[in-house]
Amino acid sequence: MVIKVENLVKRYGDLIALDHFNMELHEGEVLGLLGPNGSGKTTAINCILSLLKYDKGNIEIFGKPMSPDAYDIKRDIGIIMQNVAVFEELTVYENTDYFCGLYVTDKKKRRALVDEAIEFVGLKDFKKFYPKKLSGGLLRRLNIACGIAHKPKLIILDEPTVAVDPQSRNNILEGILRLNKEGASIVYTSHYMEEVEQICSRIIIMDKGKTIAAGTKDELKSMIKAVEKVTVEVYQPNEGVLTGIRSLNNVISAEFDGEMLVVKCGKGSHNLMMILEHLKANDILFGKVYSEPPTLNDVFLEITGKELRD
Amino acid sequence: MFAHIYLYRLKCIVRDKQVVFWTLLFPILLAVLFEMAFSNITKGEVFKEIKIAVVDNEAFRKDIHFQEALKAVSTEADGSRLFDIRYASKEDCINLLKDGEIEGYIYCENGIHLEIKNNGLNETIIKSFLDDYQQTAATLQTVMAQNPEAMQKGLIDEIAKRKDYLKEVAASHSEPDTVVHYFYTLLAMACMYGSFWGLKEIYAIQGNQSAQGARVCAAPTQKMRAFAASLLAAVTAQAAIILIVLLFLIFALGVDFGNRLAYVVLTCLVGTVAGVTYGTFISILSHKSEGIKVGTLIGTTMLFSFLAGMMYDGMKLIINNNVPILGYLNPVNLIADSFYALYFYSGTTHYSLNLMILAAMAVVFGLITFLVLRRQKYASL
Ligand SMILES: Nc1ncnc2c1ncn2[C@@H]1O[C@H](COP(=O)(O)OP(=O)(O)O)[C@@H](O)[C@H]1O
Ligand SMILES: [Mg+2]
Repeated sequence: MVIKVENLVKRYGDLIALDHFNMELHEGEVLGLLGPNGSGKTTAINCILSLLKYDKGNIEIFGKPMSPDAYDIKRDIGIIMQNVAVFEELTVYENTDYFCGLYVTDKKKRRALVDEAIEFVGLKDFKKFYPKKLSGGLLRRLNIACGIAHKPKLIILDEPTVAVDPQSRNNILEGILRLNKEGASIVYTSHYMEEVEQICSRIIIMDKGKTIAAGTKDELKSMIKAVEKVTVEVYQPNEGVLTGIRSLNNVISAEFDGEMLVVKCGKGSHNLMMILEHLKANDILFGKVYSEPPTLNDVFLEITGKELRD
Repeated sequence: MFAHIYLYRLKCIVRDKQVVFWTLLFPILLAVLFEMAFSNITKGEVFKEIKIAVVDNEAFRKDIHFQEALKAVSTEADGSRLFDIRYASKEDCINLLKDGEIEGYIYCENGIHLEIKNNGLNETIIKSFLDDYQQTAATLQTVMAQNPEAMQKGLIDEIAKRKDYLKEVAASHSEPDTVVHYFYTLLAMACMYGSFWGLKEIYAIQGNQSAQGARVCAAPTQKMRAFAASLLAAVTAQAAIILIVLLFLIFALGVDFGNRLAYVVLTCLVGTVAGVTYGTFISILSHKSEGIKVGTLIGTTMLFSFLAGMMYDGMKLIINNNVPILGYLNPVNLIADSFYALYFYSGTTHYSLNLMILAAMAVVFGLITFLVLRRQKYASL
């Protein structure tokens, strides 16, 4: 077990940011913490790192209790903060070297590590650049280089792809998977469900400081009743259509989203056919038709009654 | 690890153009402005030596030390002298005083006596010269028995310095040397500007002040080691800056800091430490934005400087007369007054007191910073 968090409670005044939050990270996993803004992801990370005081709970890392002066534990952790944490006055190389130097004292060893980290995030041509001269995406990559240069066994990334161009985003996501292949266990927080689906081997969905669901993405999706989402473009949307559709077997819900009829169906192999036949039989004109498996957003929606992204 | 942090922090400091401007260039520019504004004023104030007489009797002739002392303050070695002395018989002296030819006469017989007609500044100066002499002579009495030459030398040195001081008082009766005072306060203010570096350093290692600080806190680095290295980097940089400003004042603008330069430098160093720790103290006390803290530092330093007389030199006197305690709680005043004491007073009592209070302030600021910093987890980030 790499991280074990039990019944973590954190209050900011009256606000309960973490409400008996539980989490486990196993060796070799890429664990996703998925939740909307304000759900407590960053707070959880900061508690785990012993930066924040918490009101209740137990935190163990590498099987040992975590504390601010547990230096032997800290030595093996790499963190990438939500906010870019580099010094304006230092170049790409110097920033990476400075933070790496807090972990690795041997200069020669460090030089190799720093070079490797810079190469890893694709900033080799920018070594002498100051952060001000880097674009948002490159800056995020530097932020990552500073967190991983010392080759930690546990890497915690807090929304590393916020405000990043698609190219950097892919570079970052691939990088995380590469680090994982090289042996690091990873905690990855995000409010982008696509990213989490793409790279995480296990996912914890958070809302209001609580775990609302956990498992692999397939496990999560099978937790909900709706397994298929059928969307049909209907030319004359009206209540009668909805009532008809809702009366069908296996239909869980039906709503209009503008001209689009969104129908959620339970398990069954003929859902799409059944809906289209119903429409035809009632002389309802329709255009484009889609059928998709549910997303994590649907999981979130079904459990909390609200959208993941507001 | 210590050296690693120290060197990188020093790099960050040196490359921070904005703060380097405020700590280094701003005081220099201000000094140049002062120089331009004051260059006309100073030249006008010419000291007129005070005419006195000494009764040339048996007792006076025997007192070689006193003769030497008088010689020291009445020769034109440095282009000016405190007294213009005539030696005459007692009757002549009485007549000279009556005719207003002299301000007073000195008479030796079982001690040294002064006869004057009016009560004014010049009379006060003669009197304080004699008091000084007698006091110094008494203190050095024991030395005399063993080493008469030392006595002679010490006495003359003391008196020569005292002469300069008295001359200043006399020359600018209502305003004791205004100009050096402005420059001293300016340098004192520059020392306190070291607080900007203190602020910067705390920002860089405090987990609840910056993401960089949070990263440092998450690393396996002892907080105190990081703090000590950062503090040392700030002091190093600011001490170098103050040294440059001091050299500029002395060599480019010709500001006189007296001849005890080692003490002047010591004052700068203690002032620098006080400045830097003042910054760490203000920084650690509040959670507020960096802008508010910088504002607080600029505001309080300006207030300190104003109260120490940087904008209006009479301020110092007003404070001294009405709320003297304020002078001792004002770091800018303590630093400026130390320069002042070094320049004008020969002894070090006044100077040491200032420096000790200043050092105590630095210790208190540093200690509070240390205690708050030691808290290892934050209630909020
Ligand atoms: N320093 C703070 N003071 C008060 N409330 C805070 C503070 N930091 C976060 N919060 C609140 O705690 C909740 C969780 O925030 P956070 O952990 O940042 O969420 P996330 O990272 O998932 O977006 C939010 O409601 C947020 O407003
Ligand atoms: Mg967050």
